[in-house]
Amino acid sequence: MKKLLAGAAIALAGLTTSAAADGHANYPERPIMMMVSYGAGGATDFQARIVTMTAGNEDALGMPIAILNKPGAGGRVGWNWLATQAEADGYTLGAYNIPHFIAQSIKGGVEYSADSFEPIANWGADPAVLVVGADSEFNTLQDVMDFASANPGKLTTSGAGLFVGHHIAALQMEKAGGFKMAYIPTKGGGAAAMKAVIAGEVLAGINNLSDAFRAREAGNVKILAVADLERNEFLPDVPTMKESGLDVDNSSVNFRGVMVPKGTPQGVIDKLAETVPAMFENTRVAGKMKAGGSPMNIMTRDEVLAMWAAREETLKELLAGL
Amino acid sequence: MEFIFYFGDVFTPVNFGLLLLGTIGGLILGATPGLSPTMAVALLIPFTFQLEAAQGLILLGAAYTSTVAGGAVSAILLKIPGAPANIATTLDGHTMAQKGEGAKALQLSFLSSAVGGIFGVLLLIFLTPVLAQWALAFGPSHLFWLAILGVTVIGSLDSSSVVKGLLSGCIGLWLATIGFDDIMGAQRFIFHPALGGGINIIAALIGLFAIPQVITMFAKGRRNDGAEVIRVQKHPISGAVRELMKNKRAMGIGTITGSIIGLIPGVGGQIAGLVAYDQSKKFSPDQHKFGTGHPEGLVAAESANNAMVGPSLVPLLTLSIPGSPTAAVLLGGLLIHGIFPGTDLFDNHPDVAWTFINSMLIGQVLMCLFGLYVAGMAAKVAQVPHSVMAAVVLGLAVFGSYSVQSSMGDVYVMAGLGVMMYFLERFGFSAAPLVLGLILGPIAESNFIQGSMIASATDGMAPYFFGGTLNIFLIVVVIASIIYSAWMELRARRYTSKEEIMA
Amino acid sequence: MSDMSLPRVQHIIGSGVVAAVGIWVTWVSYTQQPSEAFLFPRLIATVFVVLALWTFAKACLGWTRVGNGLSLRQLTNLAPGLLVALIYIFWAARGLGFYTATAIAFFILLSLYDPAPHGEARSWVRRIIITACFMAVMYGLFALLLKVYTPREIFF
Repeated sequence: MKKLLAGAAIALAGLTTSAAADGHANYPERPIMMMVSYGAGGATDFQARIVTMTAGNEDALGMPIAILNKPGAGGRVGWNWLATQAEADGYTLGAYNIPHFIAQSIKGGVEYSADSFEPIANWGADPAVLVVGADSEFNTLQDVMDFASANPGKLTTSGAGLFVGHHIAALQMEKAGGFKMAYIPTKGGGAAAMKAVIAGEVLAGINNLSDAFRAREAGNVKILAVADLERNEFLPDVPTMKESGLDVDNSSVNFRGVMVPKGTPQGVIDKLAETVPAMFENTRVAGKMKAGGSPMNIMTRDEVLAMWAAREETLKELLAGL
Repeated sequence: MEFIFYFGDVFTPVNFGLLLLGTIGGLILGATPGLSPTMAVALLIPFTFQLEAAQGLILLGAAYTSTVAGGAVSAILLKIPGAPANIATTLDGHTMAQKGEGAKALQLSFLSSAVGGIFGVLLLIFLTPVLAQWALAFGPSHLFWLAILGVTVIGSLDSSSVVKGLLSGCIGLWLATIGFDDIMGAQRFIFHPALGGGINIIAALIGLFAIPQVITMFAKGRRNDGAEVIRVQKHPISGAVRELMKNKRAMGIGTITGSIIGLIPGVGGQIAGLVAYDQSKKFSPDQHKFGTGHPEGLVAAESANNAMVGPSLVPLLTLSIPGSPTAAVLLGGLLIHGIFPGTDLFDNHPDVAWTFINSMLIGQVLMCLFGLYVAGMAAKVAQVPHSVMAAVVLGLAVFGSYSVQSSMGDVYVMAGLGVMMYFLERFGFSAAPLVLGLILGPIAESNFIQGSMIASATDGMAPYFFGGTLNIFLIVVVIASIIYSAWMELRARRYTSKEEIMA
Repeated sequence: MSDMSLPRVQHIIGSGVVAAVGIWVTWVSYTQQPSEAFLFPRLIATVFVVLALWTFAKACLGWTRVGNGLSLRQLTNLAPGLLVALIYIFWAARGLGFYTATAIAFFILLSLYDPAPHGEARSWVRRIIITACFMAVMYGLFALLLKVYTPREIFF
């Protein structure tokens, strides 16, 4: 009798493992949710909706991805939720913003770190740019640097929050140029920070390239420099900060992509890592992203892992003194 | 006058069909608790992927217009405000429904929505460049004073005791600080994991207004009394039009307040209805009737919250800055078609821009027609027993608060706040000032902090917060509002004491 | 104890709870770090606690002018419904699945507060029909139209 029970138990165990394996092979069997830690209508939300719109196609995941917004505190609310409360079953994905969440985890007070998540793929890279109002006296980055050096702490500069890409860019500028600015974080993301620049409430602003590009098209701002390694295809006439003599690298570039919480079955991660980059390469997706002025940069899981590690190192160094 | 050339485009079969679809869909979504206009518009975005730019925008514009107005349905009949815009609507609208005047309240609300809405869109058409400058004029210091002005309204809003009104407001202001602070990222008052994301305003609204009402119905008990049903009496539309004509002052105040406040980026839509309600109460000879099912309050609130729709798009269309979450979603709808709002929109895509704006104008009329039809239907379904009503409202509250962001935590917050509010109401506290505090708290705080950061980097606190014409004007209004409230309170006291002596 | 003093006792309890919350909020605001993040809460808490203590004092002295409190009858009436609602929200919705829990809670509340006689089969049939209609509308609206993924635990 005991033998029989044991045998049954083994058989049962065998049955469940094979079922689990099968489960991953059939993944996904129902619609998937993707958490975006910013509000509906923000740049991250907008891009997430575009890049996931073809998820239901047979050559992609075969199941639609629904966007779930959990905004608050510069993304902390959403990423906390993903790290601690979301189920790691492969049906809950999350959008990441680098350097935001890594900088926040270094600064502390949150329940996640880079180790709490597994990257899947990267879809976009939005560099930070330095903008001033259309009628500003500043015409080049050098003008801004001269002013900041002559008036330490008087150059009011708006950005989307503390420990987000914009703030990192400001910190790097201060470090490289040896001057002090007054960084003003706004509530309400890049749009509010841009409004402050256009309305003349602040002397300068650091904002997303995509939003700044649009504002320049509308004739409201001048873009003085890009905080990236190379000039951007949307703004071929705008120099990088390095070219203008300020040693700022691409640490502040806002990388956006998809991740899952740690503990998601390896089979699911592999399947996603294989299909998702291909899904981003869809021509319809690329067309919509380009039309919206959102620069794409597709990276696979391995590339993202390397990028995360590199970012963590530079950010730890940069934020050590704060 | 350019816009007239593009009216024809609104009436092509496909465009008009989409306009109808957006309007009807918007009314249904707006009447569903938990779906704010922002959510409703975001839900429709995927449909616009397949459409042309102008068509997509017609759908979104119509949905925006009619979700704002549709929120009045659940606010009036169920006392569940679907969005902050509808809070003021519940104050008199639901009391009217309790008196059996549900159909009349709905008719009035849709008619005044249409009047306010059309005025707002006309402003958008004719005064966009001027309005854009106004929208930019409000910096952190001005927004701070504006929020303080809102706080002074708290004491006089829907409360028979100024102290308890202010205390309710303080509770709301405190509740708003729960969660992560937005600028520093510090955790504040998170005593339960469900509060990690702060208190969601929509979930809080549902809880604070709907749950006390459910418990009140429970408290009536199981009575074999035929009168214990909620009736909706039929009401002729012509009567509603006549009633609206009688309330020209409230309609004027509502429309103008709504248009001005709707313009201000980041504040607008949320408080337009409440401020208009409070203003028309202050200017009305029948102040004491407000809150007891007085049509004047309803007219002011509803004309204001639709008047805000047009001007709220001004910063988006001219400066490419989305002034409200809903405008941000509309921006997404434009961007996927490669159209950048701003000069590009009006210079290179006038067909898209004007067709969109015209369709919002026509949408207001359609919304009103369908709304009046809904009001007629509400009079037919009539007679709902309290037991059914209580269970329906409870179920809707739970589903509605869950669907805001698919979070059980929001449901717990909704229920917790709702039960708390029921008992607080028994002791003379009221929900409206509490909600106002909840909305204004973050606006006041973030603008104060931002302002003080700018001030300390430039010319110092005093010149920054107290200098400039607009600052001084706002401060004067704040002081006037406080003096007025205090005077009214003293006068009311004298009256009550006299009555007490007489009795 | 006359009937008149019941509201007074309740007012003391009610405003006492509010005052206690106010004191707690003030204490937390002034002790937590970083102090920059608690600047605004401190401001609010100070006004909050002053107003709350004032209200509490007024209640103790019996000067409260507004709010009628609760009668014993109202309390006994609302208690079962509130209990069902709380069990539904804080446990059943998650534990049983949203739609099952809503259907059960809806039906129980209807049976508790419906004035129609409990002895008649007709009124029970009517309640079942109303529940079914409500659930159909909720399913159509939230699951089909809005595609909200509600928790579906043991049951639906």
